[in-house]
Amino acid sequence: MTGTPLAAAVEISKRFTGTQAIDAVSFDIRAGEVHALIGENGAGKSTLMKILGGVYRADGGEIRVDGTPVQYGSPAEALEAGVVVIPQEMRVVPAQSVAENVLLGQVPVRRRLGILPEIDRAQLRKRAAALIGRLNLNVSVDTPVGALSYAERQLVMIARALGRNARVLVLDEPTASLETREVERLFDVIDNLKREGVGLVYVSHRLDEVERIADRVTVLRDGRKVGEGARGELSQQDMIRLMTGRDLEHDYEEGGSRNPGETLVRDDTLHVRERETVGLAGLLGSGTTDMLLRLYGADAKRGKAGAFDSPAAAIASGIGLVPGERGLGLIMGLTVRENIVLPNLDRLKTTVGLDRKAIDRLVSELIETVDIRPPDPDKPVRELSGGNQQKVIFARWLAGHANVLLLDEPTHGIDVGAKAQIHALMDKFADEGGGIVFASSEMVEVMSVSDSVVAVRDGEVVAWLTRDGDYTERALRDALGG
Amino acid sequence: MAASDKMSGQGVREFLWNQMPVIALVVLCLIAFILSSRFLSPININNVLMQGAVMTVIAIGMTYVIICGGFDLSVGSVVALSGCITAMVMLEFGIVAGVIAGVAVGAAVGLLNGLIVTKLDVNPFIATLGTMVMFRGATFLITGGRPVVGDEGLPQLFLGFATERVFGIPYLVLFPILVFVIFHWILHRTAYGIRIFATGGNTEAAFLAGINVVKVRTSAYVWCGTLAGVGGVMLCSRLQSGQPTAGVFYELTAIAAVVLGGASLFGGEGKLYKSVVGVFIMVVLANALNLANVHSYWQQVAVGVVIVAAAAADRLRHR
Repeated sequence: MTGTPLAAAVEISKRFTGTQAIDAVSFDIRAGEVHALIGENGAGKSTLMKILGGVYRADGGEIRVDGTPVQYGSPAEALEAGVVVIPQEMRVVPAQSVAENVLLGQVPVRRRLGILPEIDRAQLRKRAAALIGRLNLNVSVDTPVGALSYAERQLVMIARALGRNARVLVLDEPTASLETREVERLFDVIDNLKREGVGLVYVSHRLDEVERIADRVTVLRDGRKVGEGARGELSQQDMIRLMTGRDLEHDYEEGGSRNPGETLVRDDTLHVRERETVGLAGLLGSGTTDMLLRLYGADAKRGKAGAFDSPAAAIASGIGLVPGERGLGLIMGLTVRENIVLPNLDRLKTTVGLDRKAIDRLVSELIETVDIRPPDPDKPVRELSGGNQQKVIFARWLAGHANVLLLDEPTHGIDVGAKAQIHALMDKFADEGGGIVFASSEMVEVMSVSDSVVAVRDGEVVAWLTRDGDYTERALRDALGG
Repeated sequence: MAASDKMSGQGVREFLWNQMPVIALVVLCLIAFILSSRFLSPININNVLMQGAVMTVIAIGMTYVIICGGFDLSVGSVVALSGCITAMVMLEFGIVAGVIAGVAVGAAVGLLNGLIVTKLDVNPFIATLGTMVMFRGATFLITGGRPVVGDEGLPQLFLGFATERVFGIPYLVLFPILVFVIFHWILHRTAYGIRIFATGGNTEAAFLAGINVVKVRTSAYVWCGTLAGVGGVMLCSRLQSGQPTAGVFYELTAIAAVVLGGASLFGGEGKLYKSVVGVFIMVVLANALNLANVHSYWQQVAVGVVIVAAAAADRLRHR
């Protein structure tokens, strides 16, 4: 484990408008090691990866490959330098065969009669077969990729990277959508690659996996590197402490003084009462989003009965949804005013049009209540910051006098100040008699905001912890299976 | 100080970009006038307005569909079908029945388009390409490919719609103004209008905000078909017959006009008055080239260039 790193980020910084995404972070990858990169959402992991992968250009610091400073400004140039990022979304062409996908962009060509170029099918199949053989992927190279499972597509992506002589592979949450058996296969592949001298960056929320396969761990928090340790030097508790900046057994007594009242809504998995905040805790891809959508009547496909058969019905019963992707909550091209009144139009109608005076009054009141900045009702919401966009969705449901709010990752990707404001709005809503169900993959957030915490795995409730019962972070982590 | 100057400079630029279709139309009229003083003659103005009248009504419907995130290629065929049915029914049962039949057949085709797109989940481009061909064929079938005029022609009262005037302006030109006022109100002043914009801007988000997106999208196609039916009735009056070959390429002209007016083909953005401005950009352009004695083949080339240039300018602006 000595010698020059294959690739290194040295004191890298990157600023986006208003936020320092990463601040003088150093990170390197040596041949034949797995270097895990961990941190909470928004800690700067993806920014750092995107800089390594050539998607973003750093504002400060430098990238070195084999000790030599490089300047690359596109994924293609990063690839040239041997650095490949395997993202969570698979970039494959479903209709083409495994062979064509593995050698995408570098299809072997032969020349018929010395001039006419033609795809060399035999070469293509042979080379692809050799590459997927290295990964123990037992499928025919002629299979269309569309017929493969997610895990197999992932291996196709890795094979493609190997075909381009990648020496550094960055795996972004590679196990988020895998089953246990598939995870084991991926770990075997990672072991093989290590032996071949490939350097791997392993980005994950799953600390037990990190503990198991990482030779080194680097922890980011709020854009800074807050810890680094070789295998065995950091326990899972240490990692959590570094990631969150708090101790594991923190007391979560802050908000828990409300007396819940009547049940406001229930389906066969979830229920929430007046003056109650129910937090859904689950790892990425655990199905909390689907549970919220089902409760909201937006997921008719599933067999399980939700409480409503359409969002319109849920809204009519006083339920409001704040979706995880802001793009699902707001119509970006419409103004703040239009987005706020959208689900409340029926109550603002006159015989021939809309009661514009009432709308203006309502909207300006709400802009003040939830503190949207700038306080301009005519601004298209796409021009607002993430935190302010979130407040617009909040305002929408306050305008409709909703008594239950379903929030999916309400503070994901917004800055610390706005996060506190959103938490305050949630608290106020519950204090005034509302019920909240919210999902978050930040365990600390769930624990500090909720009255009850529901542990979710594979779309099923595995534990329901209450403040008067067994309400500890350790209990929650046990329920989630690490 | 400097900052506020910059802000107002930006504001002016933004305003100019937003009003680009209007500016383009004014400039085009000026050029036309410089090229030929006949451009502003009463006869020519009348000509331009008559040519724009039918297309204005069709483009209004097209704007609804496009803002709602859809597309309708069938309007040209609907114009022909509606015109022929209007004439046929009118000859049998009188004016009122004829007009109602013509508009109703447009509404029916619109409903069919809407259901194919929303219920069968067929891409709007393909769905309406299919109905476009289908109803052009149907029109030829019911007319035997011949114009529908009857033995003594269509009733004078009906033909008078295109020839009679109030205050010197033909009814045919006044009528689209009424249509515009009504549909402008619906689109920009009612709850339904906001729902159209929301559905076109982001169907999934609109659904999660409680909007019945299937209903809204279908209704946009119904409006478009209905107005194409109205356009067919108007054209029938103007041509004094039902013409099975009428309305060819109208769908393309209407779509071009809406795009020239700045509506986004991705949906969710657009202004109704600008689509009308787009219609008149097309009409005045053709008229000016005519007055300048440019060969009609070159006219087509010029119109094509203008459409591509306008769309490209819009993309550049959004970059």
